[in-house]
Amino acid sequence: MAQAAITTENHGVEHHEETSTGLGHRKLLMWSFLGSECMFFGSLIATYLVYRNQSKVGPWPEEIIDVPLTTVSTFVLLMSSLAMVLALNYTQRNRPNLARFWILMTAALGSGFLGFQAFEFTEFFHEGLTPRINLFGTTFFVLTGFHGAHVTLGVIWLLVMSGTITPKGMGAVSLLATLLAFYLGMVGVLGMVDVIPDIEGSPSVIIFIVGVASTVIAGVWHFSMKTTMSVKHQAENLEITGLYWHFVDIVWIVIFTVVYLVSAGDGPHLSEGLLNG
Amino acid sequence: MNLFRSSLLRRRSVLLLAILTPALLSACILDSNQSPFKTAGPVAEDQKNIFIFIFVIAVVVFVIVEAALLYSILKFRQKGTAARPPNQVHGNTRLEIGWSLAPIVFLVAIAVPTLIMIIDQDRGPLDGRVPDNPLVINAVGHQWWFEFEYPGEDVITANELHIPVDRAVDVRLLSDDVIHSFWIPQIAGKVDMIPGQGNSMWIQASETGTFLGQCAEFCGEAHANMRFRVAAHTAEDYQAWLDGMRRAPVTPEPGSDAAAGQLVFAQNCSTCHTNNSYKPAVARAERDTQIARQNGFKADPENARIISAPNLTHLALRTHFAAGIEELNADTLKQWIIDPDDIKKGNRMSKQAAIYNVPGSELSTAEVDQLVAYLLSLTPAAADAVVEVEGPGSGSGEPSAANGETLFATVGCSGCHSTGTNTLVGPGFSGLSDRAGSTVEGQSAEEYVRESIMKPNAFIVGGGTVSAMPSTFGAQLEDGEVDDLVAYLLSIE
Amino acid sequence: MAQEAVISKFPNPFPRPKGYSGIWSWITTVDHKRIGTMYGMTAFMFFLVGGIEALIMRLQLARADNDLVSPEVFNQLFTMHGTTMIFLVVMPLSAAFFNWMIPLLIGARDVAFPRLNAFSYWTFLAGGLLMNLGFAFNSAPNAGWFGYANLTEGAYSLGNNTDFWVIGLQVLGIASLAAAFNFLVTIINMRAPGMSFMKMPVFVWMALIVQILLVLAFPVITVALIELQFDRLYLTNFFNPDAGGEPVYWQHMFWLFGHPEVYILILPAMGIVSEVLPVFSRKPLFGYPFVVFAGASIAFMGFFVWSHHMFTTGLGPAATSAFALSTMAIAVPTGIKIFNWIGTVWGGQVRLNSAMLFSLAFVALFIVGGLSGVTHASPPTDAQQQDTYYIVAHFHYVLFGGSLFGLFSGVYYWWPKITGKYLSEKLGKVHFWLMFIGMNLTFFPMHWLGLDGMPRRIFTYSADSGWERTNEWVTVGAFIIALSIVVFIVNFFKTSRSGEVAGADPWDARTLEWSIPSPVPVYNFVNIPQVETLDDWWAKKYPETVAHEESHDSDTEQVAPAGAEDLQPLVPKVSPEERLGEDHGIHLPDGSYYPLIAGFGLAFFGGSLMSAWWLTLIAGLVMFYGTLGWIFEPVNDPEDHH
Repeated sequence: MAQAAITTENHGVEHHEETSTGLGHRKLLMWSFLGSECMFFGSLIATYLVYRNQSKVGPWPEEIIDVPLTTVSTFVLLMSSLAMVLALNYTQRNRPNLARFWILMTAALGSGFLGFQAFEFTEFFHEGLTPRINLFGTTFFVLTGFHGAHVTLGVIWLLVMSGTITPKGMGAVSLLATLLAFYLGMVGVLGMVDVIPDIEGSPSVIIFIVGVASTVIAGVWHFSMKTTMSVKHQAENLEITGLYWHFVDIVWIVIFTVVYLVSAGDGPHLSEGLLNG
Repeated sequence: MNLFRSSLLRRRSVLLLAILTPALLSACILDSNQSPFKTAGPVAEDQKNIFIFIFVIAVVVFVIVEAALLYSILKFRQKGTAARPPNQVHGNTRLEIGWSLAPIVFLVAIAVPTLIMIIDQDRGPLDGRVPDNPLVINAVGHQWWFEFEYPGEDVITANELHIPVDRAVDVRLLSDDVIHSFWIPQIAGKVDMIPGQGNSMWIQASETGTFLGQCAEFCGEAHANMRFRVAAHTAEDYQAWLDGMRRAPVTPEPGSDAAAGQLVFAQNCSTCHTNNSYKPAVARAERDTQIARQNGFKADPENARIISAPNLTHLALRTHFAAGIEELNADTLKQWIIDPDDIKKGNRMSKQAAIYNVPGSELSTAEVDQLVAYLLSLTPAAADAVVEVEGPGSGSGEPSAANGETLFATVGCSGCHSTGTNTLVGPGFSGLSDRAGSTVEGQSAEEYVRESIMKPNAFIVGGGTVSAMPSTFGAQLEDGEVDDLVAYLLSIE
Repeated sequence: MAQEAVISKFPNPFPRPKGYSGIWSWITTVDHKRIGTMYGMTAFMFFLVGGIEALIMRLQLARADNDLVSPEVFNQLFTMHGTTMIFLVVMPLSAAFFNWMIPLLIGARDVAFPRLNAFSYWTFLAGGLLMNLGFAFNSAPNAGWFGYANLTEGAYSLGNNTDFWVIGLQVLGIASLAAAFNFLVTIINMRAPGMSFMKMPVFVWMALIVQILLVLAFPVITVALIELQFDRLYLTNFFNPDAGGEPVYWQHMFWLFGHPEVYILILPAMGIVSEVLPVFSRKPLFGYPFVVFAGASIAFMGFFVWSHHMFTTGLGPAATSAFALSTMAIAVPTGIKIFNWIGTVWGGQVRLNSAMLFSLAFVALFIVGGLSGVTHASPPTDAQQQDTYYIVAHFHYVLFGGSLFGLFSGVYYWWPKITGKYLSEKLGKVHFWLMFIGMNLTFFPMHWLGLDGMPRRIFTYSADSGWERTNEWVTVGAFIIALSIVVFIVNFFKTSRSGEVAGADPWDARTLEWSIPSPVPVYNFVNIPQVETLDDWWAKKYPETVAHEESHDSDTEQVAPAGAEDLQPLVPKVSPEERLGEDHGIHLPDGSYYPLIAGFGLAFFGGSLMSAWWLTLIAGLVMFYGTLGWIFEPVNDPEDHH
């Protein structure tokens, strides 16, 4: 998604013209994209709910789900939304240094969330929950994995934004923060891959992800540093980034409720599959 | 719900139909050999009548609307070159309300009988009454044939469903592989057979005869050739068929082709085809055996030499074979065995069976002839000629390996296990006695083999939690029989 | 412009091309009209492919027990015929008209995101090619356009057939979604001043509704395809009954997408018909707000009827009844549309040329398809008709008799605007009558075949079934349709060489696109028009008739319109050199290579998932490069602007 808002920022023709609604084209695009994303996550969550308590063998959610841990990671992600609000606020008030700080803070908190997810995936995997062991594993990993992928993309996007927010580019501290956040983000993605180590062709997946990730880091960061934009442009772009980021957070609240809070007590006593033998 | 069985309405509908669609009459078009309009049971009859009711309404609407369209085109066609445009009418609210409400009247007329019939047909096949003494039949879809089990009767067969006439039949629809759909157009509309989901439907035949059925959900390569037949009998004939299905077949005369064919069958066909489910224990185990065969296939679809396949018990009673597409006689059967694709394109047998795929396993011409002779001999022996089959291992004390050998073939072991070294679904048993004692620490060979039969999941060679082997043998076999079986297994060289 | 523009030091080996002629100007174009033309041409090519697939199937079925093709090939043919006609023909043909006509009808110079538009096209093309690539490996998709699990799962669908289908659809889905976002923003945000929603042409309304349907329905199939592909690749359990997965859940997801998809296919054609009927009746659309509202409610209700595709899956009487009722309810707004179209013709001055004939045939044939739909909205009857040729007949009446007739109507109607020349009326009428007769001969007998018990998707039937004679007629009909398409192709080539030149407003039409020259200059409008009323161009030409209409009474004396020739000068004369618009101070974005690279990179990446990891890596890098270049590409080459 990183490209959608940025790619379209310089479409040119209508740049100076009033739009029929007064809303910028790119912002409207993001709203319609988020409408689409609602159906995307709605379908994934529906899949989880349809298959809830349908597993025929364990491990069961009651053995796996750790609500306190995930509450902490949820808190971290929600704090990133606060940081996002502050970042946008400072951008609109034309305070590039503070804005950059809060953008990077948003990215760091997002990466922290991904770190929790990577830790969680690895833990679950060692406790015997894999995507192919039962329906709980299948639906859990695919749902939370796709959410994690969205957060990862959001982090990359935020880093691009932090590069464009000031004319002089980023300093060494920012660079370090960037790489650290990326490292955590990629661990999150690789945590998913680690769960399916025995799939046929898994080297291709891992090599692909690592390859693209490093190219993303090098390429996006390099060129975003050399790209400058007016403050007005930055503010609108960051607002669009923020829409995406807040949406991903809201989706997590739903997932946290459905997958963690509601399902934490699910076990074999509820599973039809076991009753049928 | 007798609205549609009211002969007055039906006659009127048919009359209207005849007037409005001359094609129907002139070409006698709806009289194929599986036309839902040649009804032979109350379910299809109701479905036909509600269709005609809706169809007549649709034709009326069609005529009115198309006439209005045609009239307005012809009437308002521009003549010459009109300089001034017509009156620029933008709409008329009263008209709009009118033609929004008009369809609702028609739709209510359709919806009410529809809803009543949905509920009625859910309750029972005839007049929405819950039937008193329905016959329950399990129908199982396979790629690409049908299996029919009569639970409680210890009868199981394939591709030809036998039912008594005028009795409600509760067909429980299952599938062991993909989604199929069970459809006997002259008796009832279709309901899907979905793996992991137990559907059911009511059927009832109102006349004796043979009716065609066909799989109606696309299910893979040979979907078009997945057909079956329903034979509706009088209650006596039905009972006679059931009894016959439980009698042993005529024993082939020693030295005849059929006798030789029996051996060919045992060596080349019996892994996938059961032909002895006239024995109650075999009939009861057959579903599990088929599932085990199917699991063997799923484990390695490209190279599996085993797959669930039609039950051939008393094959010669059937009129057709190859999922109902070919008449059964010596010529067609021979053609089938030589090249199954010649008769049923896309069949599984030619892809999986060793005799077509493993060099050196091909049948000789003589063997084919013997096999045909044997298969066509598979009919129940006359009722009085049957000697009660002795229950093997009747608990005389000493385990008998000979009884065990019989059990090995009849209970279904041989469907998945060879007595050689090759793995079918389960491992081959050659030299089992040498390794059984040392497989699980602290268990003797006898204890280990016994436990493996009774509780297949207790220990699985090579790991895993669920064995492909059915865990039902413990319930099926008597203690003495298990002793016999263990003795036999440990005697295999 | 300069201080607002993004200045980038991205090393750009492909500077934005500037020319407006030559093959590369087409490949790199971001002009909505050229992209529309490419959509149209490509979709027509796929139409021929899908048509040939249909003809082979008809040859196979013309005889009982025929062995012209093997069951495997037949299964590939019907799968690809369905998939092609839906995703590679009707949807992109609609997209061709969206591209061409939405900006013209709302008075805009382009769509909101020109490069995203090019990306949509190239992704569509690459996805379509990827889908058909299966034929080259003898593993074209073979599990039906609906891809029912668990037939599509690993054990029952060996080889890559289903992978081509899943990945091809995913790529096409991305193309459709990108286009949908683009048109959605264009319609909502770029209407000419004064054009409120209720002054928008009906075609634009239907386009808007279709985009909303796409945005909401496609993610559902995306998720379903992801789940299926994960089952196939990573052995997850979504549709694996052995682990408790439910194959029927695939059907729910597929049809939750699939039914709105039906309206995605038909609403653009309904929009075209709602433009053509008023023009050739010289009357406004009867009941405009009702037609718009009916379209919107059809789309809304389309999300609540999906299970009528699944009446035989054992939903239980409660769900079955509910979906039967909701399905029947859709007949109401559909009826409203049909009645209003008839009301439009009523009292008009009907000119029966090719465009009008196709539109009228749309109405006539859609009535048949709609009514046969009502018959199997009743689950007890559907139990007999589901998965028979009756259903095939039904949806070909709405998709062929409906969508395709509507789209061909659009072709004849807008051809002069697009090319500046008429299509030959004589050949057009031959085309129409051959297609109309062939269509009815093909699909009407299918009703009887289905009622007579012939199932769908069977590669053969037995000689004693009694279906052979009817099937022969169906096959004859199919070849008559093929002949009509040949006539259309002849018409295309003949008129492109020596067609009669059409003026700016050859049909005396009603909407904004006819107020500008034919063919349309690259910048569309010299001045963005100020819109005052529905059918604004008509109101400007015939102000008296509009004033007259407000006085309600129908039998007051008609006012003679100003001579149409007086209005022609509204159209500026433009020389070809001027067409780039620089003389008018209009700046248009230059072309770009990156949408092409990103689009093909995406399909390449998807396809490479079936092959070696290093190919995946290369494909991923290509896709990534295309995206990166796109992000950092300047609007126009900066040095040219100063």
